[in-house]
Amino acid sequence: MAELALSEVHGRRTGGRRLRPTLWWLVTPAILFFVLFFLIPIASLFAISFDKGAQGVITFQGNLTLDNFARIFTRSLYYEAVWRSVWLGATVSVLCLIIGYPLAFVIARTLRPGAALLLTILVLASMQLDMVIRLYGMMVLMGDNGLINTALMKVGLISAPLPLMYNSFGVIVGLVQVTLPFMILSLVGAIKSINPSLEEAARSLGSTRWHAMRTVTWPLSLPGVYAGTLLVFALAISSYVVPALMGGWKVVTLPIHIYQQIAEVGRWQFGAAIGVVLFGTSLLAMAVYILALRRQAGGRM
Amino acid sequence: MSDIRLDQLTHSYGETRAVDNVSLSIAEGEFYSLLGPSGCGKSTTLRMIAGFVTPTSGRILIGGGDVTRLPPERRDIGIVFQNYAIFPHMSVAENIAFGLRLRKVPRAEIDTAVEGALAQVGLSGFGDRYQRNLSGGQQQRVALARVLVTKPRILLLDEPLSALDKALREEMKFWIKDLQQTLGITTIYVTHDQDEALTMSDRIGVMRAGRIEQSGTPREIYEEPASLFVTTFIGQSNVLDATYAGAEGPRAAAMVEGRALSAELSHALPRGSAAKLVIRPENVLMGPEAADRNLTQLPATVIGESYQGAMVRYRLRLGSQELVAERQNQAHLARWRPGETVTVGWDPGRARLLPAD
Ligand SMILES: Nc1ncnc2c1ncn2[C@@H]1O[C@H](COP(=O)(O)OP(=O)(O)OP(=O)(O)O)[C@@H](O)[C@H]1O
Ligand SMILES: [Mg+2]
Repeated sequence: MAELALSEVHGRRTGGRRLRPTLWWLVTPAILFFVLFFLIPIASLFAISFDKGAQGVITFQGNLTLDNFARIFTRSLYYEAVWRSVWLGATVSVLCLIIGYPLAFVIARTLRPGAALLLTILVLASMQLDMVIRLYGMMVLMGDNGLINTALMKVGLISAPLPLMYNSFGVIVGLVQVTLPFMILSLVGAIKSINPSLEEAARSLGSTRWHAMRTVTWPLSLPGVYAGTLLVFALAISSYVVPALMGGWKVVTLPIHIYQQIAEVGRWQFGAAIGVVLFGTSLLAMAVYILALRRQAGGRM
Repeated sequence: MSDIRLDQLTHSYGETRAVDNVSLSIAEGEFYSLLGPSGCGKSTTLRMIAGFVTPTSGRILIGGGDVTRLPPERRDIGIVFQNYAIFPHMSVAENIAFGLRLRKVPRAEIDTAVEGALAQVGLSGFGDRYQRNLSGGQQQRVALARVLVTKPRILLLDEPLSALDKALREEMKFWIKDLQQTLGITTIYVTHDQDEALTMSDRIGVMRAGRIEQSGTPREIYEEPASLFVTTFIGQSNVLDATYAGAEGPRAAAMVEGRALSAELSHALPRGSAAKLVIRPENVLMGPEAADRNLTQLPATVIGESYQGAMVRYRLRLGSQELVAERQNQAHLARWRPGETVTVGWDPGRARLLPAD
């Protein structure tokens, strides 16, 4: 999704060549898979979100109604969840950018290729371990009896454990941990594609290292910044596992509502409707972001 | 007084010594070229002077002050890169204003200076363009304008013409040289193109494997090469196997094909050692031209002739060795066919005896 949105931002479109008919069979398996396991399920969820609520029924009945949506939009509970999801997604995007940019810069510009490779492997390795395992590891670190609180209490800096988990803070830390590699990888690609002599030209024209980074590297890496923030936002806003584990059901986002409706109460129709709202929210937030960028770029991009 | 001085400058990338103990002095206003084959360390030398590469050892002095540890932005140096490095997200005018903004020049003065710089490089009216709408030659001019507008003490150019086509290269060669002379700016020019170096430079440093093999005026480099490498890298040379037979007045006597020939000698050689006698093809005279008794004279056989318009090139056999002569193609001068025998000769002052490599 981020990719699509980006080609929009830049208005850059590669003139695609027509696929020769003999090559069609190469893409058939992928298309079949996509249709069967993505389009059909998503389309049926979309359909049942307009179905009359019936506990335990998961196929489309054809009893068309807007009741599910009416229910969502008349309760402040769900408005809060929408707002919370967007706010979390935006905060996580910004934090990932702030933390990720310097590291991405070092990876992209480090003089010795060996060191860059090592850092990239570390970033990738942190994506390899299953997310649930990583999050349990973070709970060991951040829980009330976790390493941080135990250590701080031992040295006497605090008398009661700090609330590091089961709140927005814990969720944000968890989401940043999970999405940071995506941000770093898109930034590394963008910074690497900038010709280093541009920075050097700025330096010998009188820029400090910092000024050259601000006036040359940063603006030229914006495509990667946009791609990274959109990707992280999309991942964060739709994450269920992180708010569930790090928020302990206390930070209720849209995916948590969906899970509760479907897995706990069996109200598929209502859960599906919340899903549609989540998707719409995500699209709307990205559209706003892209429009803002367009305006800021003043049509130059 | 020298404007730039390199003092035993060395840089190693890991095991490779890209620049090896380079020392040289460049005078104020001088146009100095670093000339050498690919990978000989020209760019690394230039990048050390600009401050992008830290020397492993040695010092760099600019105007007498040691700048070895100064960051690039404090060296008062302008550099033009092979790919021009025009900022793609800024207009031409913004590119040129970049250095002036950093120097906190007032807005109105910047605008005037940018206009002036654009006029100087013949690009008036191009201020609103972007890099993607400029040809290679225009980008080149913008890069120069951007640098010159800040009035740097030193101008560094790294193969600035190599990305241009041949006709434009010829034109820019003279244009850059003129501009440099008008401004009187001390310039170091990196190139692997001998024509550029010979036509543009006040002095040339010929580099090979990280070292400066010879440093001198274009005439010295061409006519008094210090090594076999220099004489074969710059222009063409006949290289004949010879043996050093001892001094002969101010010159050296060399045995070539069983005959004693005299040649200039610039290196001390042990008597009897193997050496090379070097003579440029345009200095090899033939037939009536070679009749003068003061010339070195040898009998030769024509084995090939190739017509080159203004010139005729002859391949000649001299005992067991081959020799190339280049003669003007003029009506009053004789021509020879393959198979004919002819006397060849040259001014002994034009022949040099150099140590075998
Ligand atoms: N960043 C680097 N890391 C490792 N080795 C390098 C690096 N840059 C250059 N070298 C090596 O140092 C040597 C000198 O390189 P340099 O770029 O100075 O040559 P050059 O004379 O400018 O060549 P060219 O005409 O191809 O530009 C070469 O052997 C090159 O492979
Ligand atoms: Mg180079």
